[in-house]
Amino acid sequence: MADTTHEQWLAQIDAELDGELSLVERAALAKHLATCGHCAGARASHLEVRVALARSAGNPHAFVLTRPAIRAGTLALWLVVALAAGLVGGWFASHRWGGPGGGGTLEDTRGTIVVQ
Amino acid sequence: MGPLSFSSVLLMIAALQGPGTRLTYRIRVIEPAAVTPRILASGAVSGPLDSDMRLTLRTDTAEVEALFQVTAFGDTVTVAGEFLTRRLVGQSRRGLPLWEEDTYRRLVRMTWSDTARIYPFGTSLAPAVARRAPWVELILERHFAGGEARAGEQFELRDSTRDLSIEAVVRPRRARIILNLVRGDTVSGPRPMDLVLEEPARVVQLVLKGRPTTLVVSLTRPDPARSARARALALDADIVCLRVSQPAVLQPLGTICGRLNNIARQLPLPTGDTLAATFAWPGPR
Ligand SMILES: [Zn+2]
Repeated sequence: MADTTHEQWLAQIDAELDGELSLVERAALAKHLATCGHCAGARASHLEVRVALARSAGNPHAFVLTRPAIRAGTLALWLVVALAAGLVGGWFASHRWGGPGGGGTLEDTRGTIVVQ
Repeated sequence: MGPLSFSSVLLMIAALQGPGTRLTYRIRVIEPAAVTPRILASGAVSGPLDSDMRLTLRTDTAEVEALFQVTAFGDTVTVAGEFLTRRLVGQSRRGLPLWEEDTYRRLVRMTWSDTARIYPFGTSLAPAVARRAPWVELILERHFAGGEARAGEQFELRDSTRDLSIEAVVRPRRARIILNLVRGDTVSGPRPMDLVLEEPARVVQLVLKGRPTTLVVSLTRPDPARSARARALALDADIVCLRVSQPAVLQPLGTICGRLNNIARQLPLPTGDTLAATFAWPGPR
């Protein structure tokens, strides 16, 4: 994300706090925050506003703000786990039994819809 | 057919294409077997007539993501499928997995009473693979539902070792917005409002510590997604944006975008306060 604008970094900060960023995106954001005081400050004030909102909603010790936030975070984590597991599984399967398709053309492997 | 029943049929067809109609995608994921095919999963997603369905299927060696869209003309329906596929095709010399990515579109025409079979991995598979490759049975239904805008989803995975899911993709036309002003530890009382996309802006006043702030707000759609995958699978379908300005000032203060998921988005105001906007689905009309 070399040409990412300030606006886009702010959107990434929101997504990070919602737990919606991939590991790669989180690393890119962390690297940017280390060099950009403006964005680092924006992230801190984003968190402070979330704390104030949680407190006013009668939930001062909120771990995360709302149920969808938990779900998105867990989902992202499981997505990473599932993708990693799929990758490793696929690698072993391919290693053992060879890849799919058996040398067919690309069109052969494509999905189709048939009306009955 | 007499003239009365003919006109009532016409009326019914007209009503079924109106705004109160809901579309349901009913699916069953079926695995071929020697005797009787096995049902791996079943479910249904529903929403307003322009709702889409997202389908994801993963195996050790392939991943299929698809977005299905329906266009109705009277008694016939066109089903369009946008497919994104990743297939493991082998490994590199250094032993790393090599994936092949592919995107394509499929189109079929059917009637409301037809059943469509979706073969996510194609029909010309090697016999050893075909024996395990599932297909998806799709039935479309429409019925009256009096303006409920939210998606309905129900899914039962009978074989938990399988990685597959369906999701309704619903584009909101209205949203419930809750506005708060925040300064330090102080939060103003919530100001809920229902906004309709692209309708004229509304003036709203928020009071924090006795000091009023007047803002002009309107609901818009976000810019098109940056990635081709997000565009093809309509991953941003439930994102809306709130454009915020000051009265009698042309240049907006900013735009807050978010999914209808009850998480607050923020916009710093020139007054030093922060505007927090929470987006949610509106209740049925
Ligand atoms: Zn920055």
